Amino acid sequence: MADSNVSYNPLPDGERPRPTRRRSIVLVLSGLLVVGFLVALLSDNGSIAPANVIDNDNNNVNDNAKNGLNDVSSSSKEPERLRPFTSASSAGVSEKSNRRFGSRTASYPWTNNMLSWQRTAFHFQPQKNWMNDPNGPVFYKGWYHLFYQYNPNGAIWGDIVWGHAVSKDLIHWYHLPLAMVADQWYDIMGVWTGSATILSDGKLMMLYTGSTNESVQVQNLAYPADPSDPLLIKWVKYPGNPVLVPPPGIGAKDFRDPTTAWLTSEGKWRIAIGSRINRTGITFVYDTKDFINYELLRGVLHGVPNTGMWECVDFYPVSTTGEHGLDTSHNGPGVKHVVKASMDDDRHDYYAIGTYHEKNVTWVPDNPEIDVGIGIRYDYGLFYASKTFYDQNKKRRVLWGWIGESDSEIADVKKGWASLQGIPRTVALDTKTGSNLLQWPVEEVDSLRLTSKEFEKIELKPGSVMPLDVGSATQLDIVAEFELDKAALEKTAESNVEFSCSSSEGSAERGALGPFGLLVLADDSLSEQTPVYFYIAKGKDGSLKTYFCTDQSRSSEANDVNKSKYGSFVPVLEGEKFSMRVLVDHSIVEGFAQGGRTTITSRVYPTKAIYGAARVFLFNNATGASVTSSLKAWQMNSAFIRPYPDDDDERHSGTEPTHEVRGSKTKYLGNLLTSSLLFLNARNNFL
Amino acid sequence: MKAILFVFPFVLAVAYFPISQCQNLPLIEQTCKQTPYYGLCVTSLKSDPRSKTAGDVQAIALIMVDIIKAKAGGSLQHIEKLKQKYPALRVPLSACKDRFNAIIIGDVPQAVEALTKGDPKFAVDAANDAALEADSCERGFSGKSPITQMNKLNHDISIITASIVKTML
Repeated sequence: MADSNVSYNPLPDGERPRPTRRRSIVLVLSGLLVVGFLVALLSDNGSIAPANVIDNDNNNVNDNAKNGLNDVSSSSKEPERLRPFTSASSAGVSEKSNRRFGSRTASYPWTNNMLSWQRTAFHFQPQKNWMNDPNGPVFYKGWYHLFYQYNPNGAIWGDIVWGHAVSKDLIHWYHLPLAMVADQWYDIMGVWTGSATILSDGKLMMLYTGSTNESVQVQNLAYPADPSDPLLIKWVKYPGNPVLVPPPGIGAKDFRDPTTAWLTSEGKWRIAIGSRINRTGITFVYDTKDFINYELLRGVLHGVPNTGMWECVDFYPVSTTGEHGLDTSHNGPGVKHVVKASMDDDRHDYYAIGTYHEKNVTWVPDNPEIDVGIGIRYDYGLFYASKTFYDQNKKRRVLWGWIGESDSEIADVKKGWASLQGIPRTVALDTKTGSNLLQWPVEEVDSLRLTSKEFEKIELKPGSVMPLDVGSATQLDIVAEFELDKAALEKTAESNVEFSCSSSEGSAERGALGPFGLLVLADDSLSEQTPVYFYIAKGKDGSLKTYFCTDQSRSSEANDVNKSKYGSFVPVLEGEKFSMRVLVDHSIVEGFAQGGRTTITSRVYPTKAIYGAARVFLFNNATGASVTSSLKAWQMNSAFIRPYPDDDDERHSGTEPTHEVRGSKTKYLGNLLTSSLLFLNARNNFL
Repeated sequence: MKAILFVFPFVLAVAYFPISQCQNLPLIEQTCKQTPYYGLCVTSLKSDPRSKTAGDVQAIALIMVDIIKAKAGGSLQHIEKLKQKYPALRVPLSACKDRFNAIIIGDVPQAVEALTKGDPKFAVDAANDAALEADSCERGFSGKSPITQMNKLNHDISIITASIVKTML
């Protein structure tokens, strides 16, 4: 054999040389792989333009992104557009100050002075850390109880347990130890929201949502360890918990916030729990005899498409004839029922009035166009996870609402706390309109009133601002009435444009018949101001439509706080004056229009209009009408909310602690102290 | 012959099974389409190996929160260096340090809690706040910021995260 030029390596024994056919298969294989890869690559075309994401306020998120300060869930825009506020006929307003605010001011460093001012004097809040939903409000053995979602470890939401406080009058609160902590597998991820029911024999049952060790939402039963303890300090969880788990077909995280139970005519207790099926918010109904075994009733009490998850459902009767409240179990003639839910999606509380049919377990809204989730809100500002309870002590229904912060986290971390409860309000049907509720601060708030200043028939020409000498202006209760001259109301031209507080230019948007109202938490130069006002628009048919708004756009020189405008339409009936009540308590402002037909809660964080530098003004920024106003403003005392004294004797008797600051002498001393502190702080501000 | 029979199913599988499944692209893309910064969303997620095996939107959201945390941490380190380099900018840089600290000790833990314990709306709040903090840091320089790109990145990934969590509500 001749030697070939092809070198070849001897193969190990047993192997045959590879045939050349194998090489072609490899080639085919590789080719197919390449083809397959290309197919895969091309079918996932990467260059798609960002979607047009529309958030719940119907803002195109991309537009917001262009505006810089992008907030996906609210419609906060760049606050930099600032119109000159008044015409030449104003008194004491400087255009210069407005222009200065309009420039791109540097990010505001929050000082301890500014932050400590933010704590309220007569609104419920724990001594520190985070709070959210009010839980299990109830009147029991002479005490009002408030429980609440609380984080014992920080000023953010997390590690949620039940805080607890008691009061004799819904205003002066005493902090008690935590009522329930996350110590069972069925609530280890969170002891969440729940409600109290007092049974016919006086027993108290608490149903609450627990987030289990697998983050499933279940309902649990708890009850007082010692029912004879009026302070209800210790609680026991039913050993057989949970008593309810998500029904088949319902998401493990879509089942929470059981309501207070109401008695049916068959003698069973009935509760409602919010949930959702796809995008339809619903509420389930269960019957129980013992709060341990439940029967899921067929269908749902009610549901509304496209509203998303219903949290904190509330269901209660209102009297169609009287202002007094009704026990949750009350039913019969002269009664309508309210269904309320907190919308997880848009963070607002909605209610609707309708008719409850006990037999077939349904509820039908009076007006489906303003059904739950698409109609009326309890409050047009910050107000969520609210809950009512029947106060058998004073025969009224009382509403609590969680008021979160609208500042930035850096401030919350620095000040060490976050959130308030709103001022408790009575709730009743508005018998004059029949189609909305009325909410009003509980009458005990009046007991905080100290000195007052009254102003009679002040005339405000178009484009005027008038300072009100009320003394200190950070703790106020103001009741004000406004009248416009009839001629101006009649001769004003009609408008085609539908007005909206939130999309308007705020109090700087001048119309013929508005805005007019109050400027609170304002400083002398008006570089910071929070207008609470009416705006009257004349519709196409010549009818007048009144809006009630709060404008935060110039509430603070800081630019990391919410600057949006809140508000809504408010019914004003024939012969009624325009009236508002405004509670100012440091960083919270609550406005109630027309006896409580429309309410607005806002959180305000001024940097200058604090302590002794805060002022109140009346203003009329309308172009075509003068406004006459009469008002009364009271200084408000502190509620001295503090821990219940650690004294066994007093705890046992359940009487009010003796060493608390009440009575005229101590009240006087307290005020003297407060005034001195205010004076000293005011001096500090000017130094 | 035997080799073809052996290899052919594999070839078919490879040809018809999109390569993308291996990288979990459908979930990533679906999710990112619902944010205003699609490209950044996809590249951010892809840069994290966990995104390949993320099973649902919640898992994706948690990865994004981790990215917020990592970027904020990196920003803090960068700020420390800049303080040396630009002593004249010490005041706004310190303010920025506080802002990014707030993101790390406040927003990130809240977002993780909310997502893992089952109340995602609080994660939307936290992510929105993280964007606000980055924005506020930038404003502190009155137009002369040495970290504009960094702040924009922090802002945008926070907005992406908020958008993603919002789809879970």
